[in-house]
Amino acid sequence: MREFRYERPTTVAEAIRAVAHDPEADFLAGGTTEVDLMKDGVLHPDLLVDITRLPLRGVRRNGTMLQVGALTTMEELAADHTLAERAPFVVEALLRGASVQLRNMATIGGNLLQRTRCRYFRDPAVPACNKREPGSGCEAVNSVARMHAILGASPACIALHASDLAVPLVALDAVVHIESEEGERLVPLTQFYLMPGETPDRENVLRHGELITAIDIPLPPEGTRSLYLKIRDRASYEFALTSAAVAVIMDGAVIKDARVAMGGIGTIPWRGFEAEEVLREAPATPETFRSAADGTIRDPFLVPGTAFKVELAKRTLIRALTEVTS
Amino acid sequence: MTTIQQPRILGAGVDRVDGPLKVTGQARYPNDVNLPGMAYAAVVRSTIPSGRIRRMDTTAAEKSAGVLEVITHENADHLGEAPATFIKNPQPPLQDDVIRYYGQYVAVVVADTQQNATAAAGLIEVEYDRHEALLDLHDPRAERIKDPWGEDTAWGDVRTALNRAPVVIDQTYTTSENTNNPLGLFTTLAAWDGDTLTLHDSNQWPNMIQQVVAAMFGVPTDAVRVLTPFVGGGFGAGLRCWSHIPLAVMAARHVGRPVKLELTRPEMFTGLGHRTGSVNWIRLGATRDGRLTAIEHESLTTLPLDGDEYEPCSSVSTWSYASPNVTARDQQVRLNIPWTNFMRAPGDAQGNFALESAIDELAWEVGLDPLEIRLLNYAEVDPKTGRPWSSNALRQCLEVGARRFGWSERNPEIRSMRDGHELVGYGVAGVSFFWYQQPCSAKVIVRGDGSAYVRSAVTDIGTGTYTIMAQLAAGLLGLEVEQVEMQLGDSSMPVGTAAGGSGLTAALGSAVHDACGRLIQKFVDLAGTDPFSPLANVPFEDVSVSEGRLFRRGEPTRGESLARILAVHGLTELSADGNSTPNSPDELGMTPAGARGARFVEVRVDEDLGRIRVARIVTVNDGGRILNEKLARSQILGGTVGGVGMALFEDTVTDKDTGRIANATFGDYLIPVNADIPDVHTEFVGEADAFNPIGVKGVGEIGLVGVAPAIANGVFHATGKRIRSLPITMDELLD
Repeated sequence: MREFRYERPTTVAEAIRAVAHDPEADFLAGGTTEVDLMKDGVLHPDLLVDITRLPLRGVRRNGTMLQVGALTTMEELAADHTLAERAPFVVEALLRGASVQLRNMATIGGNLLQRTRCRYFRDPAVPACNKREPGSGCEAVNSVARMHAILGASPACIALHASDLAVPLVALDAVVHIESEEGERLVPLTQFYLMPGETPDRENVLRHGELITAIDIPLPPEGTRSLYLKIRDRASYEFALTSAAVAVIMDGAVIKDARVAMGGIGTIPWRGFEAEEVLREAPATPETFRSAADGTIRDPFLVPGTAFKVELAKRTLIRALTEVTS
Repeated sequence: MTTIQQPRILGAGVDRVDGPLKVTGQARYPNDVNLPGMAYAAVVRSTIPSGRIRRMDTTAAEKSAGVLEVITHENADHLGEAPATFIKNPQPPLQDDVIRYYGQYVAVVVADTQQNATAAAGLIEVEYDRHEALLDLHDPRAERIKDPWGEDTAWGDVRTALNRAPVVIDQTYTTSENTNNPLGLFTTLAAWDGDTLTLHDSNQWPNMIQQVVAAMFGVPTDAVRVLTPFVGGGFGAGLRCWSHIPLAVMAARHVGRPVKLELTRPEMFTGLGHRTGSVNWIRLGATRDGRLTAIEHESLTTLPLDGDEYEPCSSVSTWSYASPNVTARDQQVRLNIPWTNFMRAPGDAQGNFALESAIDELAWEVGLDPLEIRLLNYAEVDPKTGRPWSSNALRQCLEVGARRFGWSERNPEIRSMRDGHELVGYGVAGVSFFWYQQPCSAKVIVRGDGSAYVRSAVTDIGTGTYTIMAQLAAGLLGLEVEQVEMQLGDSSMPVGTAAGGSGLTAALGSAVHDACGRLIQKFVDLAGTDPFSPLANVPFEDVSVSEGRLFRRGEPTRGESLARILAVHGLTELSADGNSTPNSPDELGMTPAGARGARFVEVRVDEDLGRIRVARIVTVNDGGRILNEKLARSQILGGTVGGVGMALFEDTVTDKDTGRIANATFGDYLIPVNADIPDVHTEFVGEADAFNPIGVKGVGEIGLVGVAPAIANGVFHATGKRIRSLPITMDELLD
């Protein structure tokens, strides 16, 4: 059997120290990504540092902020009343992800770090994957498949970011608390993920030994309407072909303010800053929505199987905006 | 057999007799079985589609913890060829260095634990000389086999009829490759004892596995015992002796210990075959009022380089509708792909999608109700021979289904029905399923306490064979179902046929029927030798059986219990062997008809997003006599779910350059989830079939057939878009 060491520290400092001083060490939380990929032979840590006993679980209200411990499970966060009342699209995104069984295991910190579902990344028998073996090439870009990214992609990597939760969280400007031996730093989620560029193996700003301890979710103002719309082939237990997280503050038929993000299309959770600009102070009309959608989906990188996602993504956003403003 | 009164238990929705064993975890599936001293095997598969192994390095694997043996083509036993059985089987593995498809076994590692075996398998390095692979159905270099089974059919003059037809539909319909995906991971546990071998194995035909393994390993057939009392589903995947079986047997011989080889889910995708994709070219000729004058159906399907597959997609067009001129032809293409194999309704599932889509197109072309055109062209007799059917309630299926569904309430115009963002469409399809039966045998024994047991080597793949055969035997012997013990899934029992082709109920049921009749005869004969028996001098023809007693018909008090007859003669039990062979259509002067059915579906298509939802399904089937309505309904429901999968989700994707199956996991290969399946109304119509003594027609497969075209036809009604390729996905419905 392929052996690895396993430790289960009880303090954050111990956990960080254990990983920081072993370049082949990984943190283990719910295990729904890490263990899968170990079984598939994609990840081979020498040391697993189980962080599930660390005191990083639970949701606290802090003024206009919800501070979510990194070890809170998806189901626990989905049951939070404040979130359901103030930002229901976060709850919708949580409950449209995975399955109940997985959501009971998977943690919020782990959800943000989940690896792509790209079939070429996940099968080590495929030699070319820049994300798995830097410099080896990209098999996916030569294949017909409909689940790849169309935004932020490059010939080096077209792997999709799979998280539903991250989509409304980037829309809300959530902030990630990162702890290391040097102390704590805060990174906005919109700056947390990295475009693949020439280094698709680097997916985010975390350095080895850094641990996500909490996520701050700013609560949108009272009266904000929000919606998460997820489009996929089957009715549940599938990753998004396209998804849209939208939040609006309305003044009659005019949109005072809007937050937009999209999933299922980007190598990272895709914040629609352009769409927000179009929507702000604009009438809630089909023309406005189309213009917002056109502004979001620009310069797509397409392979034969993904061409349809351009129009599907636009219509997904238009539908979400139509429903949330009506 | 007139002596046996009309069985009274038949048809009742008796709970599964094996249900308590299954829900309490006591039913031992092959992967549940563990033996003392057992070792574990893990396979290594090729990562190229075509070529030769240049070099293998097994050093690291051999040194890896717990490893007992590494077997490659360099040290594998030389095995005998797979014998020519009714179904062709893969030739023995590891006999040469030639790679014929991606996923072919190139090594097996045996170790003390599964983890050690799997880890060591990952350490084997293989270098290949890669050859150019044939992976595309339309590759002109690939070998094409015309009329592969000598079953191409033609009558009348299709060419002339099409030239003269005022209305012609000429279209091509394609279906994707699907994978059977039984939930139970196929497992072989092989244990040698000297020159005898016991196999605990997942399959659908223990006697066939026995025969093939015995031939490969050069031992007498009866030196091999195959035990398959329970299988975690098959859907056709267990109808061949796949290469992992001889691998496990060879491994057990090498290490001198029992060896268990359990496939992983990705290995199930390459190791057990899959449903071939298909191209169907159909031309229909018809009068302006929609009466068919010609059907021409040609199909193209795939084959592995070294395999064989019976997948006659065009044959449905020779029996489904009345037409004076018909041509049906099939071709196969050999490619560097894993085996294509039977999957629930092979050939019919694909061919029916094509034919029922084309019939629908014809209905719209001539302006006829899609239901009416099917009734109009109903085949009163076998259109090929003119013989009467053994039974055929297709008309009733369509009529009853239409009533239950509310077909007449639809607005016939396309794009005429709407609910919010959704366009609503109604679709219908008819199903005429193939007929299939093979010889089978069974033994029935009555014990001293009057209870019985029934034995046959066949297995129950979850369809309910244990239960319906207990019901059948109970009815024929005048016992309660609880008094009949079933013993199946053991190759040492009377030789049985495959649990496949929807043919087991007729085959085994007829054998049980025969055995029960012979057994009653023996009891009557025995009673006749006892001058004090109330049945002495009562001729066999006048004897009835009920509540464990034989009695003179019309005179219930004049009789004797089976237990008493045994006791009087000092016997502990009495048994009889029964056999069945299919009747001859020539002798009976009729054409055996498989099951018939009709599907009605309501689909909803989100106009902007192209998202498809099936809102309602009515499925009405003629399965002849239904032995157990509850279990038959389960078969239809499961088939319906498979049909929705075929229509909307299932697609085994092969990478075009490497031949690797790209989506060989349950995360990537989509099958329906509960939320995709709407309310399904099932109903049975028809009468006892005249072709076998028990009047049944199998219903294991028909439930799947016709769902896909009914959905496609509903999508057309909803949107005006005719989708001629499966699966139907939203990208095709986005404007």
